[in-house]
Amino acid sequence: MSGVLLVRVWRFASTRLVIVTLATLVWGWLLLFFYSQFSEAIRQLAVQSPIFKQFTNFGSGNLFTISGAITLGTQHPLVIALIGIFAVGGAALAIAGERQAGTLEVLLARPLPRRSYLLTQLVAILAMVALLVAALLSGMAIGAVTQGLTGELDLARFPLMWLNGLLLWGAFTSFSLAVSASFDRPGPAIGLSLAFLLVNYFLEILGSFWTDAKWTQEYSLFHHFQSGEILAGKADPADFVLLLAVVLVPLGYALWIFPRRDLAAPA
Amino acid sequence: MEGEGPGSTPPAIQTEGLTKHYGSVRALNALSIEVRVGEIFGFLGPNGSGKSTTIRTLLGYLHATAGRARVLGLDVERESVEIRRKTGYLPGGIALYGSLSGADALEYLSELQGQPATRRNELCERLQLSTSDLRRRIRDYSRGMRQKLGVIQALQHDPELAILDEPTEGLDPLMQHAFYGILEDMRAAGRTIFFSSHVLPEVERVCDRVAIIRAGELMALQTVDDLLARRKRRITLRWRGAAPDLSFVPGLADLQVRGDRATATLAGEVGPFVRAVASPALEDLTIEPASLEEAFLEFYADGEGPGHVPREMGSAQPSEEPR
Repeated sequence: MSGVLLVRVWRFASTRLVIVTLATLVWGWLLLFFYSQFSEAIRQLAVQSPIFKQFTNFGSGNLFTISGAITLGTQHPLVIALIGIFAVGGAALAIAGERQAGTLEVLLARPLPRRSYLLTQLVAILAMVALLVAALLSGMAIGAVTQGLTGELDLARFPLMWLNGLLLWGAFTSFSLAVSASFDRPGPAIGLSLAFLLVNYFLEILGSFWTDAKWTQEYSLFHHFQSGEILAGKADPADFVLLLAVVLVPLGYALWIFPRRDLAAPA
Repeated sequence: MEGEGPGSTPPAIQTEGLTKHYGSVRALNALSIEVRVGEIFGFLGPNGSGKSTTIRTLLGYLHATAGRARVLGLDVERESVEIRRKTGYLPGGIALYGSLSGADALEYLSELQGQPATRRNELCERLQLSTSDLRRRIRDYSRGMRQKLGVIQALQHDPELAILDEPTEGLDPLMQHAFYGILEDMRAAGRTIFFSSHVLPEVERVCDRVAIIRAGELMALQTVDDLLARRKRRITLRWRGAAPDLSFVPGLADLQVRGDRATATLAGEVGPFVRAVASPALEDLTIEPASLEEAFLEFYADGEGPGHVPREMGSAQPSEEPR
């Protein structure tokens, strides 16, 4: 780990991070606002139209209960895009992007072991992801307080929800970083990382919209971030273990491959 | 490896049969060189000859297919981090973070180096990089200013060994001159400089010894003086009246006589030639100094591969003579 590099990675991302953190916070608040203002109207619509009801079951969430709304909020494409900027984009560029830019060459001319570089990038990005997940949940907590929904929520379960969210996005970060460590150009690294994210998302959403394909959700990492279950006090430790394994396996691969790779002169 | 007796200072760089293959492509083939502590060592070769591959293997960016290398007595595979702690490296066409100011970039890299930038101010002054220049963002720098910053980041911590890839690329003649002065001062302070270059006059000017590689193989490793001494010099002679018969003069070749004027190439010592042609009728004599460029080009003449190395240059066992 290099403290100097860690601080610099954060400084480079600071403006973007502040903007995305605020956006995530506002989104968390907005979701609870919408829930408190429109859930009853949506419920009426759902009763009248079974097709509409089916479409309100987005991912593992819905708009009929506060825990369903929170789950929906954590799986909404907007949140995926916001957190994905760092967890997928940032991680995929952390090595391959610096390689192509030629700046990795200058950094690795210092007494900085490659593993240390990789772990520092991982910690820096995970810290950003942790902040974003915290901002999302904080926004929801503020929304619950301002909309008078605290009676429906056990805020003491938010830390566990944060940990589950961090593990989910940590898995995508770890995978993207491993891909980044394996390529010299950012194009393939971003492409593969994004594909991994989208396939997981597709499997989760497909199962939620189409009952016959519900089994596909089991194969999605998003299905193992169950805010609703945690809020209901039914957190499954297997979800945490599985996500942790998906963090560790790509990380182990990255730590193995990166020091062994030849880093030819950038084009 | 040779050259490492008990108590003796290890060479700054020592490679033994260093080989690097990319699939079927041989980027480096059994390269054996030794760079002595305190010398300026020029590493010459055209594009794709293996210069960068050698440098990148020495610094741990690449892993050798075969052979061994040590830098400052440290193994490049196992002790790469320690090597980089003692080394300053200027990559060819250096890339720095455009969003940072020059001062911030130097500070950042110095912090990563973990050593105080004891020479930064002096180098900035000598390379005329002012405080206001250093406050500007790197993205606004000219190519020459980036190169100056690259030189400073490599040398600011006063490394034991500087590895510089095309260091004067983009520098104007004035700054090149200042840069040569910096190298000479480093040598005087016992530092070692290993640099690759295409600019042969600068290699001729500042280097103690040079290695020439072609297609990943060592063609020559000699002192610059020795390399030049073996080169043919172009000579022109003019007499009062017709030119005499010069066929008996030792070392002359490519002789062309036109009236009172003769041109030829001269190999070897100048003394015997001058004694042989000296006469009251000789009106003018011009001996063009041998240049490294000619020596270099000779190694790359058509049809000469690594297997056709001139005998005196010794491909398999490069000749090494003290300067």
